[in-house]
Amino acid sequence: MYEPKIIGFLCNWCSYRGADTAGMARMKYPPNVKIIRVPCSGRISPELVLRCFREGADGVMVLGCHIGDCHYANGNHRTAKRMAILRQLLEYNGIEAQRLCVDWVSAAEGEKFATLIASFTEQVRQLAPFVEIMQ
Amino acid sequence: MSERLTALRETIRQILPQVDGVIGLKTGPAGIVAPYLFKPGHPEMLDSLALWPKEPVPDTLKIIQKAYPNARLAIVCRGCEERGVVEMFKHAQVSLENLTLIGLQCVQEEALFCRCAKPYTVHARVTVGSPIAGVPDPLTEAFAAKSQAEKLAFWKEQFQHCIKCYGCRNICPQCFCNVCALEDEKWVETGRLPLPNPSLYHIIRAMHMTAKCVACRECEETCPAGIPLAIHFRLVARDVKEMFHYETGAVIEQKPPQLLTLEEGDYERSGLP
Ligand code: SF4
Ligand code: SF4
Ligand code: FES
Repeated sequence: MYEPKIIGFLCNWCSYRGADTAGMARMKYPPNVKIIRVPCSGRISPELVLRCFREGADGVMVLGCHIGDCHYANGNHRTAKRMAILRQLLEYNGIEAQRLCVDWVSAAEGEKFATLIASFTEQVRQLAPFVEIMQ
Repeated sequence: MSERLTALRETIRQILPQVDGVIGLKTGPAGIVAPYLFKPGHPEMLDSLALWPKEPVPDTLKIIQKAYPNARLAIVCRGCEERGVVEMFKHAQVSLENLTLIGLQCVQEEALFCRCAKPYTVHARVTVGSPIAGVPDPLTEAFAAKSQAEKLAFWKEQFQHCIKCYGCRNICPQCFCNVCALEDEKWVETGRLPLPNPSLYHIIRAMHMTAKCVACRECEETCPAGIPLAIHFRLVARDVKEMFHYETGAVIEQKPPQLLTLEEGDYERSGLP
C-alpha cells in the first residue's frame, strides 16, 4: 500500500467552494489531494494534466461547475470535450484512464467533494505508482 | 495505373485554359516526384505528370493561395487530400473560392499501402478513376486489441526511436499554428529527446489533432524512425465520430467540434459522470 500523490484542479466558482463547504463542515477526507485553484475548469489544458503525470503525480482531478452552471457559461463544455478525449488517449498509451477524474462539484456539494476525494484516492491506490509506469 | 495517368493528363489539359494553374505531381529530372504548378502556357509539362508517391499537396495550395489570393486554381487531390483541403478551409487556411477540385480515386494497392478507410473523394465534381471501397487498418486493429500493459510496452519501444526531428509535425497539412505547444519548454524540453512514456510530445500532438487529422498518413511516411504514428490519430478519430458525430472532411458546412458548446447528446456520449 502506498500513498498516492494526486493533483486536484478546482474551479474557483463551484468546486473550490465545494471544498470550502466540506472543510467548514469538518468533513473528513484523505489528505492525498494537492489542490490548485483555477478560474474555470476550462483552463485545464491536456498539457497541464500530462505534465502532472510526468512530474510523478499518480492521479489528477479536474473538478468544475455542473454543466450549465459554469461561471463563464460554457467553459466546462470545453473541459468535458477535451477531457473525454484525453482519457481515451491515456488508454491508448497504456495509462489507465482511472488516473484522471473529471467531475462536477457545486459550492453546496461539500459531501460530494469529500466522497469523491475518498473514492478517487482509493481508486488510484489500486494502481501501481505512476513512476513505475514511467520507468 | 497508366490508364488513370492518361485520363488525369487529359482532364488537366482540358481544365488548364480556364485557370491560372493546376497543382499536381510531377517527376523531376532526377526522378523525384514533387508537387508542381502546371501553367496554361506549358501543357508539355504534363508529359512528366506523376501519380505516386503522394505528397501533402494541400500545403502547396495554401502556399500558393497565400502569395496569390486571387489566383484561379485547380488541385489534383486524392480522398485524404480533399479532406485536408476541406479541413484547412474550415480553419481559414485555404479558400475554396476560385478552386476546382480534381478528385483522383486511389487504386487498391495504394489503399492497402495507406491502410485507408476512405480512398475516394466525395466533394470533387471532376473525378479521375473509379472509387473503390476502404480497406481495414490491420496495424490499428492489432494495437486496439492489445492489453493495457502491451500498449504501454508498444509505445515505449516505438517512441524510444523518436529523434524529435519535428518531421511529423512539419509535414502535417493540418498542423499550422503560429505558436506550437511542442516548442513550449513547459511541455517539451528543448535539447532533450521526448521520454518514451508518457511521451508528452506525442500525446500532445495527438490531442491537438483531435477532429483535425484527415488520415493522410504523411506523418508516418515522413518519420525517419518508422513509427506507426497514425494509430493514435485514427483511434481518436473513431472516438470523435462516436462522441461528437464529426468526421473530418465529410461535410463542408459542419463546424469542428473541439471548441464551443456541447451539442445535443455530446455529453451523454462522452463517458463522463
Ligand atoms: S517524425 Fe518520427 S522521429 Fe521525427 S519527431 Fe515525429 S515521431 Fe519523432
Ligand atoms: S495522418 Fe498525420 S500528417 Fe495526416 S493529417 Fe493526420 S496527423 Fe497530420
Ligand atoms: S467556472 Fe466552474 S467550470 Fe467554469
